[in-house]
Amino acid sequence: MSLYTVARDDFTNARRSYIVLGVVGILTAMVALIVAMDADHHPDPYRALFDVSFFLFLTFPIVIAPLTYLSIAGDRDTGVVKYALGLPNTRAEYVFGKLVSRLGVALAAVLVAMVVAFVVAVPLYENAPSVERFAKFTGVTLLFAFSFVGVYVAFSAVTESRSRAMLGVFGAYFFLVPFWFGFFPTVNLPNLVSMAGDLLGVTVSESTQDLIRALSPATAYLSATEIVYTGVLDQYDQIAMNFTYEGSPLDRQLWFNLAVMAVWGVGSLLVGFLSFRRSELG
Amino acid sequence: MPALETTALTRRFGDLVAVDALDLTVEEGEVFGFLGPNGAGKSTTINVLLGFLDPSDGSATVLGHDATRESRAVRQRTGLLPEGFGVYENLTGREHVRSAIETKGVDDDPDALIDRVGLDPDDARRAAGDYSKGMQQRLALAIALVGDPDLLILDEPSSGLDPKGAKLLRNIVREEADRGATVFFSSHVLGQVEQVCDRVGIMHDGRMTAVDTIDNLRDRIDAESVIDAEVESIPDTDPITAVDGVRDVTVQAGSLRIACTRPSAKMPALRVLDDATIVTDITIEDASLEALFEEYTENGGDGADADQPAQGAAPTAGGDAA
Repeated sequence: MSLYTVARDDFTNARRSYIVLGVVGILTAMVALIVAMDADHHPDPYRALFDVSFFLFLTFPIVIAPLTYLSIAGDRDTGVVKYALGLPNTRAEYVFGKLVSRLGVALAAVLVAMVVAFVVAVPLYENAPSVERFAKFTGVTLLFAFSFVGVYVAFSAVTESRSRAMLGVFGAYFFLVPFWFGFFPTVNLPNLVSMAGDLLGVTVSESTQDLIRALSPATAYLSATEIVYTGVLDQYDQIAMNFTYEGSPLDRQLWFNLAVMAVWGVGSLLVGFLSFRRSELG
Repeated sequence: MPALETTALTRRFGDLVAVDALDLTVEEGEVFGFLGPNGAGKSTTINVLLGFLDPSDGSATVLGHDATRESRAVRQRTGLLPEGFGVYENLTGREHVRSAIETKGVDDDPDALIDRVGLDPDDARRAAGDYSKGMQQRLALAIALVGDPDLLILDEPSSGLDPKGAKLLRNIVREEADRGATVFFSSHVLGQVEQVCDRVGIMHDGRMTAVDTIDNLRDRIDAESVIDAEVESIPDTDPITAVDGVRDVTVQAGSLRIACTRPSAKMPALRVLDDATIVTDITIEDASLEALFEEYTENGGDGADADQPAQGAAPTAGGDAA
């Protein structure tokens, strides 16, 4: 019962601060806008999902940062942790209660955004939106949300102050999304891997690079959205370009992409919890 | 079984020894005043008792449970008013109390607890983030009282309370003690604990410099009283100083302060003064526990053996009185 109480208190507190409304509202508005605008250019709603996936890949981890980075570090800062842990809650009940509350908000934001997007798509598109494609897209996005909420709550559990938690969370974002994917010119993971290869006198093959790149939860998310386009991959150049490749490499397997996201979420939560369990709250 | 026992409890932060080989025993049903200036190591000790901090050395047992390994069992039966307590900004006071009741698995009435600590029912339904310090302390006290705990640990509970609130707090402490609860009451102001505590321990620089009943502590230093006499003209003070039992005479604007080391010295001193000048008014201050408190803490800080109480009192090591 105490995990439930921690989660409920945390959620109620967040709800009344409008952070919940903010996250759900921003996400829903942006996703609905993309879906609505795309209707002018394409007859198929799933084409809009492709654009939404790139939008989420880049911005969803930023949208949920303010929702999560203070979940535990903020409590240590304000002394709420002394309230929660002065009561007979275990450290596990406290950490996972916090997680349940914040993750709940993130997942609800995804669900609301996708339902609204679907409803918006019905009148605007020439071809009716497919419930199946939207559902698959939502499922993969929920896992993506879990992976980043996990990483961020873990950072919040490991750090002792607001400022460090913020630094950690934004650091994690830049590391896992633009740096890992290779958006930054010069300083990015693929370049560093090639450089390391050169130093060791080996050539890093393209497929190895792809595999490494797919180990970020954000990249894994993009790859995993391939299931949304079953049977229509060749209908749009943009989609075809992203999902057509030779053979069936590991980093293109759905199970592998899902596992990468799950492992990031679960793994970082485990690290965060173990660190918090040992940490001192004096 | 003692309610609370520490054995050679030590806590270091880097080079700083915040708590130094503390031996302390608090018996069941006792109201124990845990005194010391800021930075003496009181909160560190309490944080170890609750499992918030690990001891560097030694051990602490609370209600028969190891404070570090069985912290949840300790907290199940303990009511805590912690230092640095914070509230969920957007939850009401009542919601905090209700959650505490839920977490402890008891069926207390939140409104009764709120009423007991003197928190206005309207305030209890407002967001706790807007509370004044005093209101927050009352809320924390209500939360501490949830489930009739066997042990109440109150860390500086009077801070932020107005005199009315401080009095209410003392009454609650007495009621809880009458119920059979053990109360561990930490404060840096002696006046707040002397009226309710059975025993006090004075901590300084991480060590217990004295543990005893308040009466015994008073006896341990020469119970001094000070006569403050307003006079028309300042006389020669030497004859007064010469009276047996007068320790010191100081002159302040229009008045004399005569410090007596025993009660029987007061009248002879006043007679000598009366012969020498016209006395317009007198007040007599009894031995102040504040002075005693300072005595123990200052001497501890002056490099004297911290286990030795000041001024020729019977030496008492930290835990032996317990």
